[in-house]
Amino acid sequence: MTSATLKDPEVKTATPLQPAAAASASTLRVAIVEDDMSQAELLTHWLELAGHHCHHYDRGEGLIRALDQESFDVLVLDWNLPDISGVDVLKRIRASQQASLPILFVTARNREDDVVLALRQGADDYMVKPVRRLELIARLEAIARRGKHQNEQPEVIELDVYRVDCQTRTVTREGRPVELTAKDFDLSVLFLRNVGRLLSRGHIRETVWGPNAVVTSRTLDTHVSRIRNKLGLTPEYGWRLAAVYRYGYRLEQLDQAVPRIPRNSEI
Amino acid sequence: MSTLVGVDPDQTGRASALPALTVSIEKDLEVLVQRFLARKREDLDSVRVALAAGDYETIRRIGHDLKGAGEGFGFPELSAFGAALERAAIARNERALGEQLAAVEQFLSRLRVTFR
Repeated sequence: MTSATLKDPEVKTATPLQPAAAASASTLRVAIVEDDMSQAELLTHWLELAGHHCHHYDRGEGLIRALDQESFDVLVLDWNLPDISGVDVLKRIRASQQASLPILFVTARNREDDVVLALRQGADDYMVKPVRRLELIARLEAIARRGKHQNEQPEVIELDVYRVDCQTRTVTREGRPVELTAKDFDLSVLFLRNVGRLLSRGHIRETVWGPNAVVTSRTLDTHVSRIRNKLGLTPEYGWRLAAVYRYGYRLEQLDQAVPRIPRNSEI
Repeated sequence: MSTLVGVDPDQTGRASALPALTVSIEKDLEVLVQRFLARKREDLDSVRVALAAGDYETIRRIGHDLKGAGEGFGFPELSAFGAALERAAIARNERALGEQLAAVEQFLSRLRVTFR
């Protein structure tokens, strides 16, 4: 298996712990690189009970390839992998466009020089197997919080001319309410919480529609286009909601507004 | 509450001599634990083959994985056995490997898991 979300319809979980279909504010999109299937299943089970969405890779190269088209909030990385070592995966990520991805090593290698090497190469934290469930979740959420991609967010986002109230699910722009559908609201919140961050289509789809939803690229593009227009996320207002070919979208705040060039028909 | 028997006693011939070890685990892990124990049973077969072939690297890897996963599933003894297997494989200590293999087999044959 090169990439899969470990789902098992037979695995029953207590109702209060079932993750919601779509992501809540604190939901993390987690990549797990682990070649031991039992271990991968256990980590996935624990993290999904905690409300996070997991994607499993049993090879380091599988993850590296996936990162060309996918973004994650945090990576759980094993050291001993069948193809390349976890440290090599770590080095390649730190030298890539996703250099800031928070990385938690989870490995049975417990020698001090291993821990030191991984941390010096850029791992954010290191846990020795066997790991304990609550500690794993706490450490994972901590490095995600410390990273730029903090998901534990306030109920109200105030940014430039925008004010988003996640409690009442309302958005105002320069004090005036903006009418949005439920999905457009969720999409707006995702982008406004991740200004400057490149988000993959898979990441956007999973966060806004849920991990099992079937959403076409066209549908996603339509929603993005709609919030771009409704919120004025365009250069003339100092914003750019840019499509990145074969990957996803990035919301950028420009240093200054770029005057809009009128079309011929407007002159 | 359901019960799972770790390893078919007939496979080892040792089960009847020693009392069962009962481990109680959360119900939501039932399917994962069943799969985990089935995989470990297969791993023991692989260790036997590897030991006969002098393939210490395979045994080291299996021991390493067992060390990492056992306790997470509720079996700290398996993590300890895994660590001992890994050490013995690195040392290429055939006698210690044989003893550890027998110890893991005995543990699994006595194991009774209840899910609460």
